[in-house]
Amino acid sequence: MSHKELGEPVASLGFPRHTLVSLLIFAAAWEVLSNLAPFLGIPPFAVPSLVRIAKAIGTITPLDVVVTLARVIAALIVSFIAGLALAMAMYRSDPLDKYLSPIIRVFVAVPVVSWILFAVLWFPGVEFRIGFVLVVVCGPVFLIDTLDAMRSVPRELRHMMRSFRPTTLQFFIKLMMPAIIPTIFTSWKVNISLAIRVVTIAELVGAVTGIGAQLSNAQQLFSVADVFAWTIVLVALLFLLEAIVSRVEHRLLRWRA
Amino acid sequence: MTTRSPGGPPPIEVRGVRKVFRQTTTGQSVVAIDRLDLTIAPREVVAIVGQTGCGKSTFFDLMIGLEAPSEGTLRIGDKSPHADFDYFRGKIATVFQQDRLLPWRSALDNAKLPLELIGLSEEEQRERALTWLNRLGLGAFINAYPHELSGGMRQRVAIARAFSVQPDIMLADEAFGHLDEVTAQELRDTFLALARESGSTAILITHQLEEAIGVGDRIIVFGKSAKLLADIHVAQWDKSQYGLLREAIQATLQSNSPDPRLAQS
Ligand SMILES: Nc1ncnc2c1ncn2[C@@H]1O[C@H](COP(=O)(O)OP(=O)(O)OP(=O)(O)O)[C@@H](O)[C@H]1O
Ligand SMILES: [Mg+2]
Repeated sequence: MSHKELGEPVASLGFPRHTLVSLLIFAAAWEVLSNLAPFLGIPPFAVPSLVRIAKAIGTITPLDVVVTLARVIAALIVSFIAGLALAMAMYRSDPLDKYLSPIIRVFVAVPVVSWILFAVLWFPGVEFRIGFVLVVVCGPVFLIDTLDAMRSVPRELRHMMRSFRPTTLQFFIKLMMPAIIPTIFTSWKVNISLAIRVVTIAELVGAVTGIGAQLSNAQQLFSVADVFAWTIVLVALLFLLEAIVSRVEHRLLRWRA
Repeated sequence: MTTRSPGGPPPIEVRGVRKVFRQTTTGQSVVAIDRLDLTIAPREVVAIVGQTGCGKSTFFDLMIGLEAPSEGTLRIGDKSPHADFDYFRGKIATVFQQDRLLPWRSALDNAKLPLELIGLSEEEQRERALTWLNRLGLGAFINAYPHELSGGMRQRVAIARAFSVQPDIMLADEAFGHLDEVTAQELRDTFLALARESGSTAILITHQLEEAIGVGDRIIVFGKSAKLLADIHVAQWDKSQYGLLREAIQATLQSNSPDPRLAQS
């Protein structure tokens, strides 16, 4: 949508022309490199030709894509609800805020790999492990973003709202929620890309289905073409989810100039 | 359904009210209001003047019930706006210095806000909000968002929002100060006409003495810490004396003590 507003030339499929051109140049360069590989001393499997990658994409199993997608969406929803609920509680209660803030900062600082190892050491179920890692990584992002947004609702608007004597629930529903919706969208976009990248690493450990598991298989078979194919699917998935969020965002935020 | 009190607006009684704030940054105490005694009769239109920082807005916060007095009592009828917070829902409305509209709501939805809070049916909310928007000359702009309206029009929406609940008490905190003179004059006249017509008690904070003399049945002059320097009943002054009155109020504000010329009221 934004490229239309910017007045960029639009080619087919809704992609801006620059995007298509740069992708084509990259693909052409890849193909050339793939053909030159034997002469450059690069093993042939390392740079598979476009045809081989295309063939590999043809063998993608939809079930794995769906499973990964389901894990990501379920975990994001749980993270969002938990993050938002905690943010609201922390906004209301100073002591809660003071005690929880340091812990959350620690959570955010812990590397994803450590979470994955903890999950493996602590929990037996594969699904639970993956869900745990995703929620523990994405939840704090939702929490921090929404809490920050609530705090930056202008004092004047809060004062005006309170002067009309809302109940606590009305105060949140009619003022805080609409005020933080722009932030919620930004937060979702950040978390979608975060979750997609984290889920594959989490799936590398112990999962038998999902894109991460397939990536791990491909790696064990030295099939660079398959690794490529799955990676392309992942990136496409990410773009698709972001496009959906942008669409909803555009609809809901029409009040903005 | 209306939130208007059956016998009309109750009187406001302020007895020995003190309000002390402890500043979080410096840890120092600020006496915003020091032992204020004041009675405001039902349907009176009162202008409050006073230098910046003298406690006018704090007085409003006490009346709205957002703050409790540190000492003394403030009662509206037989109730306290702070302790009986829910009771006064829909009974007190405020127009602020900036319009304070919700940017994501259209003019209509902004005017509906207080009606939603008192739990009117969707139909009634719409009808009442429309009535008031029309009265304020905004009939053609009900679907416009705040950013699409001029400052004067936004303030009109804010006035419609305040009147839509038909409050007992209508407060205006420098509601016209930021507008150009012509628009301010127009809006002030509209506001007063509507307040008198709807039978609300109206209290306006203003920095403009012309405004105070023009609007009020009564002008209350606050000194530092809301010290009551003068309580002027404008009807006791002849129109030809308004210049003198203005000078006397000015002198009172400057010296922070009552000017002798005000003794007549
Ligand atoms: N929440 C608060 N915390 C601490 N101090 C406060 C608070 N609210 C007001 N004060 C202080 O109380 C005093 C009175 O403030 P108030 O806003 O009532 O003045 P005012 O008469 O409305 O001024 P103005 O004409 O500038 O609007 C000021 O010294 C102000 O700093
Ligand atoms: Mg003020």
